[in-house]
Amino acid sequence: MTRKRWALAAATAMAVIALLAAACGGDGNGEEGGGTLQTVLDRGELKCGVTDSLPGFGFKDPNSVYSGFDIEFCKAIAAAVLGDAEQVQYVPASSQARFELLASGEVDILVRVTTITAQRDVSRGVDFAQTTFYDGQGFVVHADSDIRTAEDMAGTTICVAAGTTTEQNLDDFFNARGLAYTPLQGDWPDPQDQFLERRCDVLTSDKSGLAARISALPNPEDYRFLPLTISKEPLAPGVRDGDTRWKDVVNWVVYGLINAEELGVTRDNVAAMAADPPNAAVARLLGEPFKGSEVADLGFGVDAQFIQRALMAVGNYGDIYARTIEQLGITRAGTLNALYTEGGILYAPPYR
Amino acid sequence: MTTMTGGLPPPAPTPLFFRRGFRNLLAQGVYVGVTALVIFYVVQALGGREYGFGFLNQPAAFDVGNQWLINVDGTTNTRFTMYLVGIWATARVVMVTLLLSTVLGVAVGVARLSPNWLLSKMAMLFVEIFRNMPLFVQIVLWYAIVLFGLPQIQNALDLGDTFFLSNRGIAVPWPEPDGGLYGGPEWLTAVWAAAVAAAAVAAWFVRRRRQELERETGQPHYPNRWGIRLFAGGALVSFLALGLPLTIDVPVLSGTDYAEGLTLRPEFTALTLGLTIYTASFIAEIVRASIQALPKGQTEAANAIGLSGYQRLTLVILPQALRQMIPSVTNQYLNASKNSSLAYGVSYADLFFVANIIQNKIGHAVEVFALIIVTYMLMSLAISVVMNFLNSRLTLTRV
Amino acid sequence: MTEPVAGARKVVLPPHRVRAQRPLGTRAREWTRENLFPSPAQAVVTLLALAFATAIVALAVYLVLAAEWRVITVNRWLLFAGGFPQDQEWRLWVSVALVFPLIGAAFGLWASLGRRDLLFMALAAGFLFFLARHGDAGWASTVWVAGSLALFFAGYLVCRLVPREPGRARSIATWTAGGALALALPAVLAVLMAAGGARTNEFSGFMMNLILAPVGIAGGLLLAIPLAVGRASSLRAVSWTCTAYIELIRGAPLIGWLFVALFILEDVIAGDLIVRTMVVLAVFTSAYIAEYIRGGLQALPHGQTEAAQAVGLGRTRTLQLVVLPQALRISIPPIVGQAISLWKDTALISAILPLRELVGNSKAAIAQPEFIENRIEVYVFAAVLFWIVAFVMSRVSQRMERSLGIGER
Repeated sequence: MTRKRWALAAATAMAVIALLAAACGGDGNGEEGGGTLQTVLDRGELKCGVTDSLPGFGFKDPNSVYSGFDIEFCKAIAAAVLGDAEQVQYVPASSQARFELLASGEVDILVRVTTITAQRDVSRGVDFAQTTFYDGQGFVVHADSDIRTAEDMAGTTICVAAGTTTEQNLDDFFNARGLAYTPLQGDWPDPQDQFLERRCDVLTSDKSGLAARISALPNPEDYRFLPLTISKEPLAPGVRDGDTRWKDVVNWVVYGLINAEELGVTRDNVAAMAADPPNAAVARLLGEPFKGSEVADLGFGVDAQFIQRALMAVGNYGDIYARTIEQLGITRAGTLNALYTEGGILYAPPYR
Repeated sequence: MTTMTGGLPPPAPTPLFFRRGFRNLLAQGVYVGVTALVIFYVVQALGGREYGFGFLNQPAAFDVGNQWLINVDGTTNTRFTMYLVGIWATARVVMVTLLLSTVLGVAVGVARLSPNWLLSKMAMLFVEIFRNMPLFVQIVLWYAIVLFGLPQIQNALDLGDTFFLSNRGIAVPWPEPDGGLYGGPEWLTAVWAAAVAAAAVAAWFVRRRRQELERETGQPHYPNRWGIRLFAGGALVSFLALGLPLTIDVPVLSGTDYAEGLTLRPEFTALTLGLTIYTASFIAEIVRASIQALPKGQTEAANAIGLSGYQRLTLVILPQALRQMIPSVTNQYLNASKNSSLAYGVSYADLFFVANIIQNKIGHAVEVFALIIVTYMLMSLAISVVMNFLNSRLTLTRV
Repeated sequence: MTEPVAGARKVVLPPHRVRAQRPLGTRAREWTRENLFPSPAQAVVTLLALAFATAIVALAVYLVLAAEWRVITVNRWLLFAGGFPQDQEWRLWVSVALVFPLIGAAFGLWASLGRRDLLFMALAAGFLFFLARHGDAGWASTVWVAGSLALFFAGYLVCRLVPREPGRARSIATWTAGGALALALPAVLAVLMAAGGARTNEFSGFMMNLILAPVGIAGGLLLAIPLAVGRASSLRAVSWTCTAYIELIRGAPLIGWLFVALFILEDVIAGDLIVRTMVVLAVFTSAYIAEYIRGGLQALPHGQTEAAQAVGLGRTRTLQLVVLPQALRISIPPIVGQAISLWKDTALISAILPLRELVGNSKAAIAQPEFIENRIEVYVFAAVLFWIVAFVMSRVSQRMERSLGIGER
């Protein structure tokens, strides 16, 4: 009996604390009013969900400095929206947790080698912007392995990252052929580590990512790619569902970088081009007046020179590719990621 | 003031607000109201999601590797089936862990109290080192050691063509159902298993009967001895009679993996090793404390009647300490069963790992978490029930 | 010892003193015979144990020497501070300088360093020095490690001067140290964050563990007291809800609640993920601590309450002055145990959440192609760091248990 009143006071206090916490909480997705764009502008910083362990795409060095293809796009968007490519907070997003990070507002954008799929688009609260990289799922084996074809993989152990489209493709691929296989899904232990130690016979992932990882190793010649591509993996930045303003900005930064390459605007010549645009298309892209004409504000919610700032920060699509992925010895010419004028499928809508 | 004529004035009725009953009622009312508000807030905050367990019945579209005695693929099976596969994986790890950690824990706990200085200090080191390191790091470390330290499959260590050791796993011989000498059907093994079970039941009854006789007559009737004889005899005779309906499958290397036999995969090994050692270091402390809590007279009395050290331990000390340590050990069992979720660190597809994959594919985090917590609670309940049964038997009989 | 002088009265020493006076060699032989070789069976055990111990020690020494510790020295910053702004490094050192003497003081006041503690600590410190001086590490880290240790011992020695007996000096010292310990967390957070310091989302590496665990423990303790009292309450509604809360929280492993922090709690509690993590850690710990406090409440003899009421204390005062202080005292050892457990549990935050504490950054370190072979080194290093802190905590708790006279039979 003696403890009642005390208990009561305590319980009430707890309840009040919980309520207060809840009330202070509200929904902090930053979706009120201006959407993500406004949130980013107010915060003065872009929160970018990335991977931190994939050389060439997103990688963290000993000083916690991030680099890679995806990182460059984060920088481009930060430069476009905030005017400073360094105002990015990189949030390491595991393949398992990435969509929740986006949905919960923990990140503003996901640039994390993420494949567009219908299910993700519809049921995971993510909306995909323009594809930045066209990829496909491939396989790597040890050079001394007997595996040369898909059929050779029957009965083997295959390392794959948990919670990815590759995991799903693998299941489809093998079941369609009636082949048995043993998957070894890794999330915390890196599937690559398991493969290198020969815990499994085959490592599968997006081809470019695989190539990047293998070429970053001290002895890349010890590994061999199978001549197989079993899926389409268009990798695209993801934004929250239903936030079209923000998606427009992200989309047109990507289109802008592709268009810039087509128009011959690079990081080195963008300042000169901005001072004296060679033609109307370049002028429009950089948001500069051409022969006395007015600069049209298309209503993105950021000023007209946002693509120009992105170009100044990271250069055009080709510059990014050369700086990050080509560095690892993965050529671009002749792949899907070449411009459409050069046999690829990069075809950005005109900026006008 | 009233005059002091006789008796006290009738007490003024307590105002309603100061009556204990009323205040209790009021307090509970307020409490319930506030709690309801909090719950309402949470429900409302989570209300924006879509709910329903239908997603569990859709095809899984993923496969998991560490299956044993089952073969489930992701294309034809539902997500729920995959979850059951995860539960089975968890159950395996938990059962092995509880068994091994009890044995190791008791051994280390007893060694800790050994008069042998070196042994006692080594037991202390074991406890101090493994109890104070995060289990997750230990498991991840064991996995790194197993993966990195063991030879790769092409250099697998071959122990007499019977045991193989590599980072694909530890392959050991394992019994397989078989038709036996007379080439009978495979279900002969099941018949034999039934015969063994029958022998066990019979042995149990014989032991009980002999125990009763012993109590009634005061003469030794060797209940344990006869029980074991009956059981072993029954098992052996039926095994021979059925024509040895069981073969031992010896593992062989085939390609880059093992065939036949039983393979303990590195993920399972690392997880079980880490869990066992961690849990054992706690159980060892419990065992030590329970033995130390026994009155010193017990040891002295045992010495006085001339029991050997081993007899003293198994007949006098441990049975008594056991009663004291069961509640604490049960707690450690519950911890170990929940800690099995750290399988995440070694990509062992336990129930939490599978649930996480499902969540990643389709969302429905609230339902998935409900599934997880209900599963763990049921598992805890099962362990508690078994341990309580054990406890009641141990404390009821012969005090 | 001197020979008795003729004529002087012969002093008869007690047997243990006589034994102690014999030459060292004899005593060592006797000790060895009694403790290592009392019987043939024991001798076999000793020899086996010796062989085993030698093998383990040799293996450990070999591994330490053969290992490639450059992965640690190169990634020092990543492992300890991660995303913390590098130009604000001084804030970290100031925090260390704040906390270390306090830990030393806690040791000095409530415990003492035995030979065993010193041995363990010397091993750990030796390991740290080995790393600090290994490879291309600068002198600065060595100096800082040495300085921190010196501060620890300074705090310890100062507090050893305080008399052990209850008295004015001791109570002043206790309250000062207790207050300083309670204020340490806010003070450190202020040092780290105030006036242009780091933001919460820049916490990472080992310092994140060092911040999250105390926050979780303090929050858990605050939540646990009302919960425990509520569970023991005779008001049905209160005790039922508290019981349900406690059992629900204890039902799932921490990794499951981290799953909730990431995937579910975002709709309920706003703020950075690290804030939700702190809430989850506090809530998780509270359920366990509440059970220990309840155990303490139940262990109190009923006479305590009755006596308090007999001297005219009200219900609240009884609880506040008589019941809770005693119950809390009894439950201190298991609460410290839970604190250690939470400390170790912070190691699995990175497994689920996109926060990078020590173990998470260890994984990032071995993702560097250069160090892909050094997995074991990195995880051993992390384990040792966790171990040192947990060991210090467990030592303090054991000593406290003894000095408070809890659990004595």
